[in-house]
Amino acid sequence: MTETVPNNETGVSRALDLLRSANTRLVSIFGSIDSGSTGDSGVRRVHHLIDVNGREYRMLSSPVTGPIPSATEVTPAAAWYERELHDQYGIECDGHPDPRPLLFHENWPENVHPMINDVSHVPWINDEGQYRFLRVQGNGVCEVPVGPIHAGIIEPGHFRFSVVGDTVLHLELRHFYTHKGTEKLFENAPLMDGVMIAESVSGDNCFSHAVAYCQAIETALAISVPPRAQAIRLIGLELERMMAHIADVGALCGDVGFSVPAAYTAGIKESLLQASTRYFGTRFWRGMAVPGGVTRDLASAETGEFGRMVTAAARDFARMARLILHTSSVQNRFESTGILTAEIARQLAVVGPAARASGIRIDVRRDHPSGRYRNLNVDVPQYKYGDVLARARVRIDETAISTGLILETLKDLPAGSVLVPVPPSGNAEALSAVESPRGELLYWVRIRDGKIARCHIKSPSFQNWPALPLAMPGNIIADFPLINKSFNLSYSGCDR
Amino acid sequence: MIGDAVERSLRSPQVLIPVGELLSNAAGSRMPDVQADMLTTEIVRRVVAACPTSALKVDESGGREYLVLNYGDCIACSRCIAAGSGAFRYAEKVDRCGVGKAALVRRWDIQSRTEVVQDEPALSQAAEQIRSLVGRALNIRQVDAGSCNGCEAEIVALTNPYYDLERFGIHFVASPKHADMLLVTGPVTRNMAAALKNAHDAVPSPKLVVAVGACGCGGGIFGGSHAVVGPVDAVIPVDGYIPGCPPTPKMLLTGILQVLRAFPSRSRRP
Repeated sequence: MTETVPNNETGVSRALDLLRSANTRLVSIFGSIDSGSTGDSGVRRVHHLIDVNGREYRMLSSPVTGPIPSATEVTPAAAWYERELHDQYGIECDGHPDPRPLLFHENWPENVHPMINDVSHVPWINDEGQYRFLRVQGNGVCEVPVGPIHAGIIEPGHFRFSVVGDTVLHLELRHFYTHKGTEKLFENAPLMDGVMIAESVSGDNCFSHAVAYCQAIETALAISVPPRAQAIRLIGLELERMMAHIADVGALCGDVGFSVPAAYTAGIKESLLQASTRYFGTRFWRGMAVPGGVTRDLASAETGEFGRMVTAAARDFARMARLILHTSSVQNRFESTGILTAEIARQLAVVGPAARASGIRIDVRRDHPSGRYRNLNVDVPQYKYGDVLARARVRIDETAISTGLILETLKDLPAGSVLVPVPPSGNAEALSAVESPRGELLYWVRIRDGKIARCHIKSPSFQNWPALPLAMPGNIIADFPLINKSFNLSYSGCDR
Repeated sequence: MIGDAVERSLRSPQVLIPVGELLSNAAGSRMPDVQADMLTTEIVRRVVAACPTSALKVDESGGREYLVLNYGDCIACSRCIAAGSGAFRYAEKVDRCGVGKAALVRRWDIQSRTEVVQDEPALSQAAEQIRSLVGRALNIRQVDAGSCNGCEAEIVALTNPYYDLERFGIHFVASPKHADMLLVTGPVTRNMAAALKNAHDAVPSPKLVVAVGACGCGGGIFGGSHAVVGPVDAVIPVDGYIPGCPPTPKMLLTGILQVLRAFPSRSRRP
């Protein structure tokens, strides 16, 4: 699965050739520094991770001695990855159309790259430098800046609209307000501690992150996770998806002023959080996944009751969802609003519910299954219109599918232990993928002497944020909260 | 169809949690509590070694050894509970919500196996007192200064039909200019420090600031990062701290009311 190419230029150009060929999708571009015992420490590498035919992840790794050719002209999905690569490792990408800093704002000094430089005391730059937004000019064009702090209980980020009247001509994002240097924090973390960092990448999807991290460690060290632990992980992943989707559909109703379903679905989500507390001792499944399995078992007497709570929540939601979809004022606001075309979604390698709502049928659980998903057939819903309604429908369908997967798993829980020990030693690398509620989530880890040497997180939000502005032109600015919510991307998951 | 929605809503069972069950209730938070009479030197050594954020420490003073638990630094990983041989268990109650920084810390004399009690009186559970605390509305502006969004998920839950924050006259507002209180989450990142200061400046005086979560109270797991300035009080003055990773809605509500009680003159009431 991982190809290592010895020569710089051919390595990267082979990756670009692969990206040019049909049926490939850019998954991630990231850097690393060799710190092996072979003595070649200090050599930077760039890794191009590519999905081939929707069935295989191929990673091309090449040493970097100077600027590398940019992949952005081949696939626009590379744009943010290459800006991050420069910010973290100081690797220049020749021909990149937009080489502005991404992770760091004006207070950060140029030429300090945290993955290769000492960043224990980085000076504060008081330069009032202005970030260069794209200027849209012409008669009647106004700029509307929004954020970083938004109205409501939402994460921070900046949106710069160019409008004529109510109509949006252009939207530019400026994010990374919640950048916390997370990938750097993984360096030298003991294997068992890394999972706590993973859980704090995107709190509402913390279990997906924890499982993705744990699977990467387990794959690297060739540890077989007990089947019962795999089953409990599946229950947690699907429950997290249910809660996210139910909350999203409710929030969409809130954004069109339909407050009864908004309050009702918030109550359904809370009932699932309380079911988690009762049977697993945790609302968001924090602390449940650790390398080697899970920390808490489900007693056999509890499976029936837990299943009934999930069933009741799913039934309530399905009824409410039917009502929502049949309400004409909802249809009026959701239909043909914020269309993301399949073509743009493909160019930006969009993942998750947003991809499936734009006619791109991808799902890690079906295409790259791991753990218990290897033995299951997961239905993958697909809609082609790419509007708010399609994204809502995907979430409604997937909530029912997740319910089915949980009940099926509860009925057939394997016996045995839920945790095996993980030796705090070893030198290895591995990749792991999980379909989080927001889409494809990957962890790549390099272990040296039983500690994390490098951990890269490909988050679905980082991948999908650049697509949101392209669903805006032609819509009115008042529909932005609705369109934004229909993508429901994580700021912290993106910014890390 | 809208009629159906309203009818269904009216028919659905009452799920509102009574205030007496909310206050200080820490179920599901995974925060630790200590069974003082079971403490041994060996257990203390093990739990201190197991704690990833140094929320648990041993303090020596006057020739005696004390176990120190700082809830503000606790990320609720529950390792102490696994390592504590029954002397550590999941807390059913955490009343250190919305308190000052010093009151986040609990101490036990290890030899005598007793807690060194501070006189931080717990929030009264009397409904009458609650009503007197929020006799008028409290407007809260929530600011995410770099959080992972776990705290936001729980703050949003405060508005669901189980907790219904509005029953106390507490509202979330869009503008800091309309706010009496800033509820701040996250380790403050370098990129959010300026925006947080601006938001704080925009809140009219007298104002209250509450730091939320392990990251907001002490920096949490992100404390040492190059991209993080520090906990909330590294950037703006803080009146009360709500620990937890994330704090549950019940802990959040307890903390908000606790801060109101501690600063009656600053919650905009005559």
